[in-house]
Amino acid sequence: MQLELALPLLMLLAIVAGLVGALTGLGGGVIVIPALVLLFGVPISDAIGVGAVTILASSSAAGAAYVREHLTDLRIGMFLEIATVPGALIGASTTVILTHASLEPVLLIALGVVLLLIVPGTISRRHVELPEGVQPDARSRRLGLRGRYHDNVLDRDVDYAADRTSPALGVMFGAGLVSGMFGIGAGVFKVLALEKYLRLPMKVATATSNFMIGVTAAAGAGILFAAGFIDPLVAAPVALGTALGAFGGSRLLPHLRNQTVRWVFIPFIVLLAVESILRGLGIA
Amino acid sequence: MSAPSVRPLLPDVEYRRMSFILRTGLAIALLLMVVGVLVYLFFHPHLDLAQALAHNPILRYLGFTGLVAGLAAGNPAAVLTVGLLALVATPILRVVTGFYYFRHGGERTLELVTLTVLLLLLFGLFVLGPVLR
Repeated sequence: MQLELALPLLMLLAIVAGLVGALTGLGGGVIVIPALVLLFGVPISDAIGVGAVTILASSSAAGAAYVREHLTDLRIGMFLEIATVPGALIGASTTVILTHASLEPVLLIALGVVLLLIVPGTISRRHVELPEGVQPDARSRRLGLRGRYHDNVLDRDVDYAADRTSPALGVMFGAGLVSGMFGIGAGVFKVLALEKYLRLPMKVATATSNFMIGVTAAAGAGILFAAGFIDPLVAAPVALGTALGAFGGSRLLPHLRNQTVRWVFIPFIVLLAVESILRGLGIA
Repeated sequence: MSAPSVRPLLPDVEYRRMSFILRTGLAIALLLMVVGVLVYLFFHPHLDLAQALAHNPILRYLGFTGLVAGLAAGNPAAVLTVGLLALVATPILRVVTGFYYFRHGGERTLELVTLTVLLLLLFGLFVLGPVLR
């Protein structure tokens, strides 16, 4: 397919992926990466490079807005990056090494499995708007991992503090590994650590997760870029399209029923995941 | 929630600085990438997608001297390389500002945390990535 036709189609795919990613809460990369491989015949290693660029762009776009609104806890976010960044470096290095060893089918199978793990986690996520009875651990108290934000719905300031930092660091390392290896945001794992272990309010957890995705992605993207795995001719239109789609999705979201949207698109993502595994096994 | 031993929240100026870095970095990166792609397409209108993927145009510009020479010659692939670098550098820059904030605030542990994160990011970009190429 010639580039003059391929690039507008890639951008269209990215707009749809960004839209669906924002509406389902899964992020654009989860759709873009398998779709590039299965629909456009892009090698999995190149698709992962494109994914890393995509999440860098969308995280900076959304992150700027969240930070401005003071929903992001910069202190907690920067503290947890000590776990996500080494994870992402190891994950991206693994991808490069597997590709050089001609083991792309392993990447395809692993990507499919990760997608199948992420989807139920996102659907079954039960947010606790404001957790109660949080007792910050010693590390949290020492580092001042606490904050305050203004909740527009409740129309009052909400104070919070971080609880179990050790298991949260462990989950964050895993999130970084997945993000670096597959070029996806892995926000579902980050939000899990922030809500379940640190016990942060939902809005702060979501904004802080988004803020952290950027630095985690930069770690993985840095390796993929320097190793020559990011082709900007494909990455640029996809990053731009995903950012536009995500912007449209965030505008549409308040007018749609969240659960309905998820049930419409999630079977499609499951299909991409299964197809990815079958392709990796050499069946499809 | 206001015990005297508790560290203060980050000041408003820090939030505004971070937001500014993210917005400006993204805008510069996307602009360079869009211009780079359009100019590249102008000179290679009939290039095939598979060909483009097999011959990543930025490979010649991943070294410092090659990149400078490419920019001086006005090569669109060199512009694309700078666009990608700007995108990767944007979150790294905000780690730098975090490091300086904690350093000036005398928060040694968080200063060490952000410095470690920064060194790891630079290690990946300038050491690990090129070694794995």
